[in-house]
Amino acid sequence: MKKLLFAIVIALFSACQTSSDQTTLNASENPFEQEWNTPFEVPPFNKIKDAHYMPAFKKGMEENLAEIDAIVNNPEAPSFANTLEELERSGKLLTKVQRVFFNLASSNTNPKIQELQRELSPLISAHYDKISLNEGLFKRVETIWQARESLDLSNEQRKLLADTRKSFVRAGALLNEEQKAQITEINSKISELTTAFGQNLLAETNGFELILDKDDLDGLSEDIIAAASETAAQKMEKAETDKEKAKYKDKYVFTPHRSSMYPFLTQSNRRDLREQLFTSYIQRGDNDNETDNKEIAAKLAKLRAERAQLMGYETHAHFVLEERMLKTPAEVYDLLMQLWKPALERAKVEVADMQAVVDKEGHNFKIAAWDWWQYSEKVRKAKYDLDEAALKPYLSLDNVLKGVFETTNKLWGITFTELFNINVYHPDARVWEVKDKDGSHLGIFIGDYFTRSNKRGGAWMSSFKGQSNLDGKERPVVVNVCNFPAPVGDAPSLLSFENVITLFHEFGHAMHGTLTNVTYGSMAGTSGPRDFTEFPAQILEHWASEPEILKSFATHYQTGEVIPDNLIAKLLKASKFNQGFANTEYLAASLLDMDWHTIKAEDALKDTDAFEKASLTKIGLIDEIAPRYRSTYFAHIFAGGYSAGYYSYVHSAVLDSDGFAAFKEAGNVFDSELAAKLRKHVYEKGATEEAMQLYEQFRGRQPKIDALLKVRGLDGSTD
Amino acid sequence: MRHLKTLTFCIVLCSSFVAYSHTQDELVILEIEQGELIFQDEQMAAEYQAALKRQRMRHLAAMPWLEKFLLFVQAGIAHIIPKGLDHILFVLGLFFSSLILGSLLWQVSAFTLAHTITLALAAQGVVQIPGDIVEPLIALSIVWVAVENCMFEQTNKWRPFIVFGFGLLHGLGFASVLSDYGLPEGNFVALLLAFNIGVEVGQLLVLIAAAVLVWFIRHKSWYRQRIQIPASLIIALVGIFWFIERTF
Repeated sequence: MKKLLFAIVIALFSACQTSSDQTTLNASENPFEQEWNTPFEVPPFNKIKDAHYMPAFKKGMEENLAEIDAIVNNPEAPSFANTLEELERSGKLLTKVQRVFFNLASSNTNPKIQELQRELSPLISAHYDKISLNEGLFKRVETIWQARESLDLSNEQRKLLADTRKSFVRAGALLNEEQKAQITEINSKISELTTAFGQNLLAETNGFELILDKDDLDGLSEDIIAAASETAAQKMEKAETDKEKAKYKDKYVFTPHRSSMYPFLTQSNRRDLREQLFTSYIQRGDNDNETDNKEIAAKLAKLRAERAQLMGYETHAHFVLEERMLKTPAEVYDLLMQLWKPALERAKVEVADMQAVVDKEGHNFKIAAWDWWQYSEKVRKAKYDLDEAALKPYLSLDNVLKGVFETTNKLWGITFTELFNINVYHPDARVWEVKDKDGSHLGIFIGDYFTRSNKRGGAWMSSFKGQSNLDGKERPVVVNVCNFPAPVGDAPSLLSFENVITLFHEFGHAMHGTLTNVTYGSMAGTSGPRDFTEFPAQILEHWASEPEILKSFATHYQTGEVIPDNLIAKLLKASKFNQGFANTEYLAASLLDMDWHTIKAEDALKDTDAFEKASLTKIGLIDEIAPRYRSTYFAHIFAGGYSAGYYSYVHSAVLDSDGFAAFKEAGNVFDSELAAKLRKHVYEKGATEEAMQLYEQFRGRQPKIDALLKVRGLDGSTD
Repeated sequence: MRHLKTLTFCIVLCSSFVAYSHTQDELVILEIEQGELIFQDEQMAAEYQAALKRQRMRHLAAMPWLEKFLLFVQAGIAHIIPKGLDHILFVLGLFFSSLILGSLLWQVSAFTLAHTITLALAAQGVVQIPGDIVEPLIALSIVWVAVENCMFEQTNKWRPFIVFGFGLLHGLGFASVLSDYGLPEGNFVALLLAFNIGVEVGQLLVLIAAAVLVWFIRHKSWYRQRIQIPASLIIALVGIFWFIERTF
């Protein structure tokens, strides 16, 4: 029930309503209210104007509510067909406009769309609340659920029924009025504290600056100095008094923003200044001032525990994990602790490597947390140096696309034909038809790869049209949006290897959205649990680093020469660099997240610093490494949607490494039997079965961590 | 230029809808809080044009040979009618110089030969002269032929050579449109030829249209006074206007 999840997220951010000039348009001219007689039902982008959205949203919500009423007031006894299937069929217009609108709001936005977004978010959130809190609707679903054993339901139907019911229950359908009122109160407190946490963090990050003179810049490269000088100039411009301005005149400013701090920590030879800047970073929200986040974090954790208890769960983590692939906190702890020891061991080796450099340089100090970037860079140069610039000419976008198409073709026999007769929203967005081995149509893939000023940063996959087999075969229209550098002049776009991995990753999501083949659209494609949906994306990344495959597509764009073996070797070796550190800081933060969200409702309000310290001491974190996020700036879990969920990054990594290892064990990365299983049980199934079952059907067993340890060089094999 | 503060919730909203937005995990949250999307109209227009060109080039690369050839003929025509108003005026300037077919043919041939040469050279990248030099000169060339039409009743024998020189300029003008349009590397010569054929067809159409219009009055005694000179004057005025517009 993605719609409900969507509604909850919007509810959290329903602020800031602004009015807009309403252009009334004739409904018969609104493309959203017409049949799309376009090839493959790709939205008719050239006909859609900004003024069409609002009327279509309003009409869509009206229609949707009328459909829900019709379901609830149906005089016939509740049945799977007249309730759940009708629910699936409802909201077509709303879904249609919503998909186009929110896609373009990220990939091709404009001031009007941004304004509409602010105006729409409270409306949409209120709309979905009306459905998820509809008691009549829940009663019908509950009636069917109670009778589920006597009904002749397919596995997919049973899963849809259980998921739908669960989403009502999680929205509070089984609670009495008093409990519901309590939940509402807790939710509003959580919402306030979450906002405050984010605002404090922003203020704290902006609150510290390291103002330097010309002679404090030892070791810094020219571009870094220029950037710091620019920061000072900007601050000077913003300053209001002359005294303020004088503070920045001819100075250089560094801040605890990662983009400013990391280069400084890496390059500056001034150990005292490195310590100052790093300390300001890790003390954010922990300065006992008016923007302190300690109490807020503790209160949030406690409120979440109370809410979980009201809902009938042991802890907040239990509440969250119920919907994940790993079902209980114990399973998550087990996974994290299995990885913890090898990661920490490796980190200790890395510390020793760096200490050796310090000693060799004739310094007399012990490596500290603020030395890590500088000395790991020295180790990297000595052991792993890879020249990114030498690699790029082999990685033109067209070559990489050819590579990813060939990879999926060899795995599943699917083919890609670029289409030019389809109108999309921007000339850089390319369109391919995806066909199956037998030539039948599978879906439309849109690839929108270059960065531009009206596109948001990052990389993502989404769809303009979903898949369903409920009323005839509906095939999807999916999109990948990335931010690769646009080509200069007539030269091709050259990617970094990181870009290549991103492309394969998002393409994996796209395949998940394209190969899907389920009856009920709400369970199609990528709609599974968060700690599983990354698996189909991440596993595809592995093919990009296979020497055999790299050689098939990475040819020099000018000379046509195939990528040399020594470059590939360096590339693969570089991926193991600093993994002890990266994994240790990440795992420490994941464990901290789990600790915060397994506290009990009846526990006293925690002292944040003491709690965190105990949590980190318990696992033996070394002083040279701070957790990726400390509690007072852990925005993922206290200001975002990752509470009891930060572990999922590594969980997905375990799955993809273990999954790909199956192909390596078979001795063929295109093993046809395995590829077929992967498609059948993972890429086609959406959320129609429990994620762990799907994985086991593909792999023949539960996931193991060994392959991940090897991929990351944590198995003791790295020198 | 407008700066628009993007509000945190918008982005969290989209990143939750567009379910899988990540790569660097901190981007998802830290950048959101500080993010600011800047809309610069000029930059966006430039990005859009570049994207359009890339799209055209991809499409061309995927086209069958004949279709591509015809497309370039079409593009050549389109760059005279309706897009090449200054070239139309120049050709009309030639038309109003003489009603003797032989003289006209010589001039048009000289013009065609000359612009073919510079178009080919510029498309190859051998010659590169910036548009803000070429464009005002093209305007002046229009003024020149039109003024000459008013001064001499019949063309002098140097005229084809002067027209040849001007043709070189116009070729550079075509080249700049062609490079905006994009020329796939693989079929360079054939497509250049196709484009040129299109330009010739466009020129001929202009000449034929003009000839049809004046066919029945060309022998009237007042043809020069009432048609040839006023038309040339108008052409010259437009040319002067363009020259000023393109220079300042």
